Formats: sequence, C-alpha cells, structure tokens
Amino acid sequence: MNTMFRGKGWSFGFRSTIMLYFIILIVLPIVGIYTQSFSLGWIPFWESVSEPLAWKAVLLTVKLAVIATLLNMFLGTMIGWVLVRYRFPGRRLLNSLVDLPFALPTAVGGLMILLLLGPNSLVGGLAEKIGIEIVFHEPAIVVAMLFVTFPFVIRAIQPLLEEMDKSEEEAAYTLGATRAKTFFSVIFPTMLPGILSGAMLAFSRGIAEFGAVVLIAGNIPGKTLIAAVYIFGEIESSNPQGAAAVSVLLLTLSFFILWTVNLIQARRTGQ
Amino acid sequence: MKRSRATSQRMFTLLLAAVMLLAAAGCGKAAQTNGNGTESSVQNGDVTLVIGAYSVVKDAFAELLPKFQTHWLEETGQKVTFQESYEASGTQARAIAGGFEADVAILAMEGDLDKIASAGFITHDWKAQSNSGVITNSIVVLGTRTGNPLGIKDWNDLTREGVKVLYPNPKTSGGAQWDINAIYGAGLKQSEQQNGVKDPAFAKSFLKAVHANVESLDKSGRASMAAFEYGVGDVIVTYENELIARVNQGVDYEIVIPKSTILIENPAAVVDKNVEKHGTRKVAEAFIAYLHSEEAQRLFTEHGFRSVDGKVAADTKDRFAVPEDLFDISYLGGWPEVRESLYSKKGIWYQVLAGL
Repeated sequence: MNTMFRGKGWSFGFRSTIMLYFIILIVLPIVGIYTQSFSLGWIPFWESVSEPLAWKAVLLTVKLAVIATLLNMFLGTMIGWVLVRYRFPGRRLLNSLVDLPFALPTAVGGLMILLLLGPNSLVGGLAEKIGIEIVFHEPAIVVAMLFVTFPFVIRAIQPLLEEMDKSEEEAAYTLGATRAKTFFSVIFPTMLPGILSGAMLAFSRGIAEFGAVVLIAGNIPGKTLIAAVYIFGEIESSNPQGAAAVSVLLLTLSFFILWTVNLIQARRTGQ
Repeated sequence: MKRSRATSQRMFTLLLAAVMLLAAAGCGKAAQTNGNGTESSVQNGDVTLVIGAYSVVKDAFAELLPKFQTHWLEETGQKVTFQESYEASGTQARAIAGGFEADVAILAMEGDLDKIASAGFITHDWKAQSNSGVITNSIVVLGTRTGNPLGIKDWNDLTREGVKVLYPNPKTSGGAQWDINAIYGAGLKQSEQQNGVKDPAFAKSFLKAVHANVESLDKSGRASMAAFEYGVGDVIVTYENELIARVNQGVDYEIVIPKSTILIENPAAVVDKNVEKHGTRKVAEAFIAYLHSEEAQRLFTEHGFRSVDGKVAADTKDRFAVPEDLFDISYLGGWPEVRESLYSKKGIWYQVLAGL
C-alpha cells in the first residue's frame, strides 16, 4: 500500500484530497466561528467576552480543567505504568477498558456520575453527611472531566514505556542507583513527553466537555456554569455572536495548547 | 521511521473511517428530511397534517389525535394522518421559523408563536381566535417530596436556609420563563400588599433570595423534573400539569399551590405559509377548533391541564383549586414588557445572576 502512494500522481491526488478534507472539516468551521464572533465588530466581541458571567464561566472551566489535568497526570501515569510493567490476570481486559470513555456518549457518563454520586447513592449520601457536596458542585464537574479525559495520559505514556530500552534501566542499577534514583533520572524523563502531551490533550478536551457536565454541574451562571454550557445557553437564547465570542476564547486557548503539544512531540522525535 | 509509517497507515484507516461515517451521516440526514413531511400533499383523498408541538402535550396528543382522526373521517370521509414532532417550545419555534413545515404549532408560550409570526410563517392574527388562541391553562406550583418534609407552604419558604430549589434556566427554556415570572410576580404582589405599590426592587430581591437556594439550573423543564426524580433538591418550581402527570403515574409528590402565582397560557395556531403550501388549511383549522372543543378540553384536564372552556372548567373546579391571588401575564405588563424588563440583555434576570 505504501509503495502505491509513492507514485507522483498518487501523491498529489492524495495530498489534495487530504487538504480539501481538512479544510472542509476543520478550517472552515473554525474560520466561521472567528468570523461570527467578530461579525458585529470589536466592541461587541469585547463586550461578550468581558461579560462577568462569561469570563466567570471561562475561569471556572479553566480552573477545573487544570485540576482534572493534574489528577490525570498523576493517576494516568500510575495506571499506564501498572499496565505496562506488571503482569496480572485481567491486565488485558483492563487495558481495553481504558478507551471506553471515548466510546460512551458523554451524556451517559454524566448520568452514571449522577446515579453513583448523587443524593440517593451510597457515596453521595455519605458525603452529604460529612458536609461535602459532590453533585451540582465543583467536585462533580472535575469527576466528569476526569472521566472523559481518562485515556489520554495513559495512552500517551504506554508506547514510551514499552519502547524504553531495558538496558538503560539495568545500567542505572548496575551503577548502584537506588530504585527511586533510577525512576527519577532514567524512567521518568522518558515518560515526561508522554505525560505532558497527554495532559495537554486532556486539558483541551476537558475545557470543551459538555455532555457529561451539563447533567451534573448545576449550571448556575457565575457559580457552577462552565463555558461550554454557557455557550449553549447563548445559542439557545439567540445570541450566536456572544456564543461565538466565548468559543473563540476557548478555541484560541486550545490552539495554543495543541501547538505546544506539537512542539513537545517534535522535540521528542527530533524532527 | 518505522514508527511514523505505522502511524501514517493508522491515520489513513482513520480518515477512511471518518469519510465513510460522514457519508453515512449525509444519507441519514437526507432520509430524515424526506421523512419530515415535505411531500405531505393530498393522495387518494387522504391528508397529512404536520404537527409541531412542545414536548409536554405529547401524552395528551397520543389520545387526542386518534379521536380527531375519527371525527374528520366521519365529517368529510377523508383520512387524516399525522406527522408529529415534539420538542422544547423554544426549539420547536426556532425549527418552524427556520423552515420545518409544520401545519399547526402548539407551543408553551405566546413569545414562541410570535417568533414564528415574525419570521413570516403565521400571517393571521392568531390572538383573534376563540380564547385568544390559548388552548390550555395551567399554573406555576411547587412540588415537594412525599409528605412535604420541610413544610413548604408558599414562596417565602423557598428563601429559607438549607432548602434546595430546582427550576430550569429561562435563557435556554422559554417555558421556564413562566416559573421565573411567577416568583417575580409573587414578589410584586407581596410588595403591593405591604406598601400598596408594585415595587420592582423588592420583587427583584425576592427572586434573588429564591435564586440563592437554587441547586441546579437545568436546561429545560423536563430536565429539571428528571433531576428532581433522581433525588436532587427539596422543591421544584414547575407547571401544575407536569406534577399532576407524575402523581397520576403513581409518584408520591406533594403539590403545593402558592397563595399568589401566575396563570400559564399555552397557545396554538395554524401556520399559514405551510398550510398554503400543503393545501391543508381546512383540516388544520378544524384541528385547532377541535382543540378548543369540549371533548378535547376534558381530555386535557385528564392530563393535568386547566381548561380554557368555561363549562369544563366549572365541572373540574374541585380538582383545580384556584389560588387566592392568581395573576396572569398582564399583571407584569404583558409578554413584550416582560421580555424587555426581565429577560433582555441587562434585564432583571441577568442582574439576579450576576449579583448586581
């Protein structure tokens, strides 16, 4: 198949098809959103963005996405590590379960969180007794974001761990390094690019999450309303320009993040 | 290098899958538009009526439509079939204004019909119909858990500390504006009783006090009800018919009727532009007239609505207690005024949310 694509005509046709596809699917809608947000000029754009309810929603989203990303970096690294380095019954099954959050409609994920952590559940009831509110408050949003971004870090570090040269690690031990020292100066640096790029993807996905969050967030503007739901509200109340303006904020943020991921990956592969 | 080749191959399969998915989605959409009844013209003497309604009437319509079908067959010998679409009121209004070819529109509030009218699809004065175009009434009430454990009796109880309140977001759900209007109006009434004048500032602070106890602001009345059923919150502010429907299904909620609350009016109208196009004006007008008939009105009351027909309302008045201090939208100055003062960009609702 690869030799086929090396032909000149093929190469040209293939490239232009991809470009066209890319333009129709990604570039056009995004340009559309930018145009829409500035459709009434700079001042309405600025007004939409500087609206207290809007920037509060964006701030809350970024804050919670950062928390979810940090948790993901920590837990994802551990899970990835366990799945690669340990052999135990059920490992393969667990490994294939990792991707499930991608396959599940996120609204179903939200519903499950509501049922499992809600006021009628065991966990929710216990938490309420000790005075912690989960559902309809910030913890639930973080849980929802964690759920939908779960696979990113794991899948980013797994190949790195698998490809790691065993001899480096063995050399470290032979030279008398402790386990901790070996981990932090040999293994961890290998995983770091994976952790970072996984985290960035998780963050971008987290700030855009809608389906899982809308069911469990409470969605009170200024308190528990995240940006994606705010945007939905603006569309529903016939304010496409306001919706687009906030979308542009999120998009620009995501763009910079994905750009950074690309830079990191380029550095890693030395391209 | 080996690695990147593997990735590019994977990318290719992924792309292929995506293209196929897109194509499939495209086909699906085409099939759907066909199904949406653009071709609903007269064939073999049959007629198709496209109904664009708000979601709450779905259960009542399931019983009503077959009855209208029989009537129409008896009267004209023509078999009428229905294409039904049920959506949140605002969404349905946008769909019809955006080209969904509904022959009749049954919506939760006047403003949504106005949306269709201002898009040019309804050209007659729908308010000139009998009962001003309103087919059903209801009121905004409070629903509590079995046995009313918190002893909720009136709006004031919603401002108590620790009471968790649910109502939908009026920005995403037009129907939810009734709920907010009720609270705001009750605040006005209270200020009027205390000082003799309607005090918008008092009403606003009253709404703010209730809002401070809101646990979740869902996107529609249905979503709010669903959250309440999952065990969220102590009190739900919603329509009486919604709660009656739940109670009829055997859920043991308590319906608390506040002393002063708003009368909900749900309008229906023929969509002129679409009936002209389909040639269905006669049957569409007969359908709207049928919704006002005694039979249909009785059926609506079975589903928890209050009747707009004087006789039916009198017959069912023991089931539907009239609140002491019931007011309608005109108490707040009518819909245009309410849209401007409450729900405009920097309106009262916004001020409550932003804590201004």
